[in-house]
Amino acid sequence: MTVYSFYIFDRHAECIYKRRWLPRPASIVGKSSRNESPAQSGPAGTGQTMRATDDDSKLVFGTVFSLRNMVRKLGGDEDNFVSFNTSQYKLHYYETPTNIKFVMLTDTKSPSMRIALQQIYINLYVEYVVKNPLSPAEHPGGVGVNNELFEESLEQFVQTRVLS
Amino acid sequence: MPSSTRTVFSLIIINKAGGLIYQREYQAGLRSLSTNDYLVLAGTFHGVHAITRSITPKLPLAQTSPAITSPGGNAPVGFTYPNPGVPASGLEHLETEKFRLTCFQTLTGTKFLLFTDPMTGNVDTIMNKIYELYADYVMKNPFYQLEMPVRCEAFDRHLGAWLRGRT
Repeated sequence: MTVYSFYIFDRHAECIYKRRWLPRPASIVGKSSRNESPAQSGPAGTGQTMRATDDDSKLVFGTVFSLRNMVRKLGGDEDNFVSFNTSQYKLHYYETPTNIKFVMLTDTKSPSMRIALQQIYINLYVEYVVKNPLSPAEHPGGVGVNNELFEESLEQFVQTRVLS
Repeated sequence: MPSSTRTVFSLIIINKAGGLIYQREYQAGLRSLSTNDYLVLAGTFHGVHAITRSITPKLPLAQTSPAITSPGGNAPVGFTYPNPGVPASGLEHLETEKFRLTCFQTLTGTKFLLFTDPMTGNVDTIMNKIYELYADYVMKNPFYQLEMPVRCEAFDRHLGAWLRGRT
């Protein structure tokens, strides 16, 4: 199984964390997404990939937001969408009762990641971000989660998932 | 009560411009919306479908081959899709706790949205049959105007009979 990217959106539709993984585990060097983004657009080096890296999170949010509303309209208020797939990738979605949205893009053959996303929320996000007295409660202006402990354990979590 | 493994809730057909051209409910289970809401849903889905195609992960190619140029000038150089042999498509299956949505897009851009129970098997077979009936009774109907709402009694009748016969 391959994980391509991971996003967290807060209840104000702000992308507070995004992380992309290169296809080969060997090439993962950068620890935070900030270090990695420029390196990733390096090979192509065009303005288009720069824009793509930047806008991807907004497009992902728009997609899950629209689909969630559509599903609620058809399936009732307590229905929730779990995942969708195209010919190229699968998107997994988990929303907490506080409207924090966790999104993960993986390859098409991956099993349901709903439990995994829930574990990321409970074991990593709540433990390291919410319980951290120094981390801001809200993330205005796209400050984002800047937390070494969270990033490292997320890295580890995904690595074990990929290998299993 | 039909067994849940064969339940088909409803069918929606969207033309290539994102307009709703057909909507029928076959079994209760989903909330029914007003005609206006279905039109909005069709338009929204049309847009989301295009976006899901554009957020396909682009895997950068190894740096050893930076000299590759795209002859058409269309695709940006330097990346590949996860499944290189397959063209990037939009949303194909959507799963929720209560239903499963299968989207089939024809070569001409018409989209068939089939809402089924999450347990329903062989959705592709159902989709193929629906497409076949659409080709036979809608496209071959001399009075049908392309991209306009489908009002073909024969299509309604045959599709309804076939879906009922399955359960």
